[in-house]
Amino acid sequence: MLRFRYPLFIALALFVVGLALTAALQDRHYILLSLVLLAAALFPLFVRLERRSIESRELVLLAVLSAVAAVSRIPFAALPSVQPVSAIVILSAYVFGAEAGLIIGAMAALVSNLYFGQGPWTPWQMFSWGMVGLTAGWLRNTRWMRSKIGMLVFGFIWGFLFGWIMNIWYIISLPDAFSWGLVAAAYASSFYFDLAHALSNVFFLSILAGSWIKVMERFRKKYGLLQRG
Amino acid sequence: MSNGFRSVHPSVALLYYVGLLLFATLLFHPLFLLTELAAVLSLLLLQGQGRHLLRGLPFYLLMAGSVVLWNPLFSHRGSHILFYAFDQPITLEAILYGLMMMLVLLTIMFVFISYNFTMTTDKFMYLFGTVAPKSALLILMTIRFVPLFQRRLGQITLIQSSRGISVSSGKLRKRMSDGMTLLKVLLTWSLEEALQTADSMKARGYGIRKRSTYGIFKLDRRDIITLICLAGSGMLTLIFSMQGYGMVEIYPRLKTPVYTGGDAVMYGSFCMFLLIPVGLEIKEKWLWRSFERRDFPSVIPIKKGPHYMTSRSR
Repeated sequence: MLRFRYPLFIALALFVVGLALTAALQDRHYILLSLVLLAAALFPLFVRLERRSIESRELVLLAVLSAVAAVSRIPFAALPSVQPVSAIVILSAYVFGAEAGLIIGAMAALVSNLYFGQGPWTPWQMFSWGMVGLTAGWLRNTRWMRSKIGMLVFGFIWGFLFGWIMNIWYIISLPDAFSWGLVAAAYASSFYFDLAHALSNVFFLSILAGSWIKVMERFRKKYGLLQRG
Repeated sequence: MSNGFRSVHPSVALLYYVGLLLFATLLFHPLFLLTELAAVLSLLLLQGQGRHLLRGLPFYLLMAGSVVLWNPLFSHRGSHILFYAFDQPITLEAILYGLMMMLVLLTIMFVFISYNFTMTTDKFMYLFGTVAPKSALLILMTIRFVPLFQRRLGQITLIQSSRGISVSSGKLRKRMSDGMTLLKVLLTWSLEEALQTADSMKARGYGIRKRSTYGIFKLDRRDIITLICLAGSGMLTLIFSMQGYGMVEIYPRLKTPVYTGGDAVMYGSFCMFLLIPVGLEIKEKWLWRSFERRDFPSVIPIKKGPHYMTSRSR
């Protein structure tokens, strides 16, 4: 069994891709295809993580930041959409770069859902939080992100984008009803949650930004972590 | 307690849950979907997850129920117009499609509840740790840090409260900034300590060679039989599904489903796939019940009544 694991996994993956494509093209049934596409989007991340020679210090650093993000979600479990995870992912990506942000976001979603319950939303959350980290890392050297106001605006925008990406997973289950009306209705019904998320991002970023960036930059310099990325 | 379906080899459990998800998303037929939902529900109840299910039920129903409402409001395909709402035709087809989609979503969510119970993290890691060792190590370390950090945060709170920093007293503004101080201490402490862990890992030779793995699970005879039965019945169902069986046509016009021999064979193998874990659970329950009642249906006879010493041992 162990010897054949790579061919076995590749064959299984190809098989599922084929099934998803036929289901989507023949029967207009898109749920499976959407999951396959998400897996394809996250796949390069894990391949890169496996292939590059990563220092044990960097690996542990990523684990600590993901765990802090995951833990920070637990006290706010009672309040929907209010959590500091996005803010922590943005700050970590700001200091350690896009790739680290992507990994931290995806890991935080995966691990915190061990406590909140895995579901069909897990891959979507991994993707969304990963994208939060990735974009924050890409923009970290621009003047926009360097200013405090710019970073708060960035967090506010991502609060809404996050909710919009999460809405896709059930809009996609109604291919025949797809119209701007449905999209508008779905986005209107999630508006309050998205607003809560956006405002909580602004709040947490405004109180965390200064001190956390200082702490993390000190660690980066002291130990020479993730300097390339 | 680990028995019944929870005690099978991880690959068997993974095959079953992947199969359930595939069938839920591929077979668009009310009979198949209802059967799958019923099977997953009975598996959940047999696994003792009823309370867990009840707690999340309002959320699941809200999420899946909104689909029933929205599809007829926004989709006007279909030829059987029932009535008009807001000058828009509401068709029978759209309502039925919405109901079926609700079944699909509910099934997927219920499958995940059972998955969370059966596939614990160590089993998942056993399966994927060899394929992606670094990601597996990263996930495992993160999982391990979560309870550690919770405990640490408790210690920090206790110590800092002696110098008046506490989230439970004072004005809101002070509480917030105090909470952030606590989190900052947690971050600094954990990073400092984790980097020591990393250095210790390196000193012991992490990353020099390929990472070896240790597997605690063994495929025994029951697992192999279950695996073969699941794979066989699952493949048969998939083959029939690719032939076009097990589908109802709703759009553009509702057709009454016709049942042929092919559908019956497919349904049979589908039921077999679904019910193997349920059977394992029932067998386990039955064994326990027999054990508690002390009249074993097993080969070992148990004497009833008071035990007298036999002449030989006397």
